[in-house]
Amino acid sequence: MSVVPGASIDVRELSHRFSSRAGTVTVLDDLSLQIEAGGHVALVGASGAGKSTLLSVLGGLEPAQAGSVEVDGADLSGLSRTDLATFRRETVGFVFQHFGLLEALTAAENVELACSLAGVGVGARRSRAAELLDAVGLSPRARHRPVELSGGERQRVAIARALANRPRLVLADEPTGNLDDDSTHLVVALLESLPADHGCTLVVVTHDATIARRAQRCYRLRGGRAVEEDA
Amino acid sequence: MSWRDAIALAVKTVRRRPGRAVLTVLAVTLAASLLTALLTISTTAETRVLNQLSSGGPLAGIKVAAAEPDPGQVDQDNASPGDPKSLDDAALQRIQDLPDVREVIPIVSTRMFVITRARDKDDHRIAPFPEDVVGVDLTKINQLPITLTAGRLPTPGSLSEVAVTQGYLERLGLERLDAPQVVGTALEMASGQVVPNERVRGRWTKFTIVGVVAQEASNGQFLASTEVVDQARDWASAGIDASRALDLPTSPYTGLFVVARGIDNVSKVRAQITAIGYSTAAPENLLASVRRYLRVVEIVLSAVGLIALVVAALGISNAMLAAVRERRREIGVLKAIGARDRDVYRVFLVEAGTLGFLGGVLGTALGWLIAAMVGRVVNGYLAAQRLVGVQLTLPWMVVVGGIVGSTVLALLAGTLPAVRAARLPAREAVSGT
Repeated sequence: MSVVPGASIDVRELSHRFSSRAGTVTVLDDLSLQIEAGGHVALVGASGAGKSTLLSVLGGLEPAQAGSVEVDGADLSGLSRTDLATFRRETVGFVFQHFGLLEALTAAENVELACSLAGVGVGARRSRAAELLDAVGLSPRARHRPVELSGGERQRVAIARALANRPRLVLADEPTGNLDDDSTHLVVALLESLPADHGCTLVVVTHDATIARRAQRCYRLRGGRAVEEDA
Repeated sequence: MSWRDAIALAVKTVRRRPGRAVLTVLAVTLAASLLTALLTISTTAETRVLNQLSSGGPLAGIKVAAAEPDPGQVDQDNASPGDPKSLDDAALQRIQDLPDVREVIPIVSTRMFVITRARDKDDHRIAPFPEDVVGVDLTKINQLPITLTAGRLPTPGSLSEVAVTQGYLERLGLERLDAPQVVGTALEMASGQVVPNERVRGRWTKFTIVGVVAQEASNGQFLASTEVVDQARDWASAGIDASRALDLPTSPYTGLFVVARGIDNVSKVRAQITAIGYSTAAPENLLASVRRYLRVVEIVLSAVGLIALVVAALGISNAMLAAVRERRREIGVLKAIGARDRDVYRVFLVEAGTLGFLGGVLGTALGWLIAAMVGRVVNGYLAAQRLVGVQLTLPWMVVVGGIVGSTVLALLAGTLPAVRAARLPAREAVSGT
């Protein structure tokens, strides 16, 4: 089966500011960045450099304040809340440092919920969730709740969930930040296989230099801009 | 996200936080139980009061006398009858044929001479006395203004059993609480027959008093089957000019008890019977006044229950708002994986509705139990007073209102938190706590 390549990303002159009583902080300042379809990119930088903000904008979690963000040629700048939700549902898969699993649901139900939101029919959900959990090696833990899983297992469930909508773009925010070394290796290997196995572009925000070096390209965010570093 | 998925997720989330859910449901349960108990008790009390006013008969009952109507009193509850007028089968049929009449029950009576071996409170024998005996079809006793207060009713068709009224007890110097003392005692009653030479001979029959009743079917201290009265009247009428010599009624029926199709038709039927030419009585004005008063009581009690429900709803709102604050990141994650604002809105609304529904179901059941317990205490008191107990009534409107009302109020209370949750930005998935 041929795998469709992931989504290309074209960010131009993206600026983003946060305002509070204490003042305005410019997080992204005329940032430009291009990521080819099916690429594996790491974003690194100091805390507060804007990595997570850039990830939020790329994933449609919040609209771009200035500049343009195109994913596969579609400009996200002018999209409404509903259209951004549709974009996330159809195009993006998220993996968070905090896993973001719903504690009330089992591993399988967490994946099934994402399938449900992606419009997968009731009958197909269960088999799709089982298939994804099998792909991340967690079939035996499908009926366990997040609290009954280790950090690495939770993150693998989160990766399975991120794949529920067959995303063309997977955004991972510090995916190994809460994991031990063994789990980190497992999760990183799993993430790195996504572009080839699932036909998606992978963008990973990380503080871990080892993980960053394994990406095809690595950008460091500094002063609100992205500067490519040698991998 | 479909409603089914939203419900499944909401129920699981509620179960995930059992402590908060239990406390919130408990608040709704208590409020719903208060509302249910108050309304059940007030409705039962209303039934009890109205039944007392109608002496146990149907509220839509009308007494028709064998007399002309008094034109000046037709609008009064207890209109004074005019001149005597024969009430026969033809008149009964005309009244029966009125469109708003459900049933007509004939009442007959006759005067009999009574001998009892009972003694009064000073231990003197009770002298023989004449008294009216009221005869009715005892199979229709539930539709007549007759209430049993001790013992039992005479067997339908029995020629040897009678029930007595409070008036008979007073004749013996007994109180209401002494009613059981007369049950099972015997007496003899005679109907008179005038024979030539102005002599009167009696036909004596032994009777057993089987019960004590309060009755407003007709005047008389004895209640028996129609057959007892018919036999007595047949005996009397076989003599010479019985009605004049013995002061016996000439009308085939002493009265009729007419049951209208609903209390709202009583006035109309009374007017129609008056037009036919008979005097009527029904406590319609009194009932209307009492119903209005009871309605006010019911509204006040409902308001108390509703206030409690509103307070509980505010509790739901507060708990849900706290949940929204606590679950900002979870909401953000839901949105990150594709949930739209309306999906999040649904989940939170269903959560609130679930809490309200559970509280409503439990509260209605608990309210019914509380009302039943109160009913038992009240019935115990009434039984000690030799009074008829109350049958607890749980109107279906109270059940539906308790459950649906709690759910709707919870949904209303959950609307603001649900809107807040729905409006939370998706970036909470990254930045939320």
